Amino acid sequence: MKKTIMLFALATLTLATFAQKKRVTTSATIIFDATTPKDAFPKAENKTVVASINTKNGDVAFEAIIKSFSFTNPTIQDHFNGAQWMDSEKLPKSTFKGKITNLKEVNFKKDGTYSATVTGNLTLHGITKPVTSTATITVAGKTISTKTDFTINLDDYGITGAAIGAGKVAKEPKISVVADFK
Amino acid sequence: MPNRNKILKIVGLAILLMAIAAGIIAWYILTDTYTNTDDRKEKYTVEANAFIKEYQQNDTIANKKYAETIIVVNGIVSEIEPVDSTVNIKMIDTTTDAYINFTFQETSLNEAKALKEGQKVSIKGSCSGGAYSEILETHFITFKRCALNK
Repeated sequence: MKKTIMLFALATLTLATFAQKKRVTTSATIIFDATTPKDAFPKAENKTVVASINTKNGDVAFEAIIKSFSFTNPTIQDHFNGAQWMDSEKLPKSTFKGKITNLKEVNFKKDGTYSATVTGNLTLHGITKPVTSTATITVAGKTISTKTDFTINLDDYGITGAAIGAGKVAKEPKISVVADFK
Repeated sequence: MPNRNKILKIVGLAILLMAIAAGIIAWYILTDTYTNTDDRKEKYTVEANAFIKEYQQNDTIANKKYAETIIVVNGIVSEIEPVDSTVNIKMIDTTTDAYINFTFQETSLNEAKALKEGQKVSIKGSCSGGAYSEILETHFITFKRCALNK
């Protein structure tokens, strides 16, 4: 009986320790910037992104509801969500699953700013493509702040249209992801 | 000859009027912004937990019904999450950890900052829809351009 209790306690402790390594926020931000010299409107922000980082094994992930991207202009927002573009009624979510490949160079136990390489798969518009990006990780006490910028090729994700051809929407928009894990 | 000149004048005037009309339409579309949520009429009024449950039962059907509509959600502030210089307000179903996350419109940011956890609140905003989170293993629903319902 004692042995069973001991084993149960050990299993619980191990699980709890493992769980602590995964940090989650439900208010990460993604900025989608497809502005061009011809048009400053295709820029949106989503402040309700779910993001996670595992400081033990370097797993990183985020999930965003496409209709949460907020544009200042209603017409641009309609186009963004429309069937020609994100088709967000059929494909409501975008996800990223990846890994910090130089995890040994990031010390999550010591305050400081670290450069990390993140490689993973981005699913957008129902299409999954590999993405590699450099992220800045700042450790300050118990808070881990992460920021990364990368570009995607809209054509790779099956997003095309006259506005892209006419230079009103960037062919390779900049994606910025900011997440604070408290 | 005088007739031909007259026709040319009419055609020229029509082209000019069409160009002006196209310019006005383009100007209207490009400078259009969202109406203040305070001034918009809600399509639905829901209780937070019942609303979350509807999404948990079938998020595809719920998205068809609610996404991109103005909704008033009544519930309790469970969490206030800092984002940049502002905050998001969350209502959480404590039995499943599924939640609604509200981002506020620019003119209502101070209203959001003044809210306290545990406070009963009525929030009006544009529903962006919901989905199952593989990270959290529960449902999440998001709102944008929110304001306190007065």
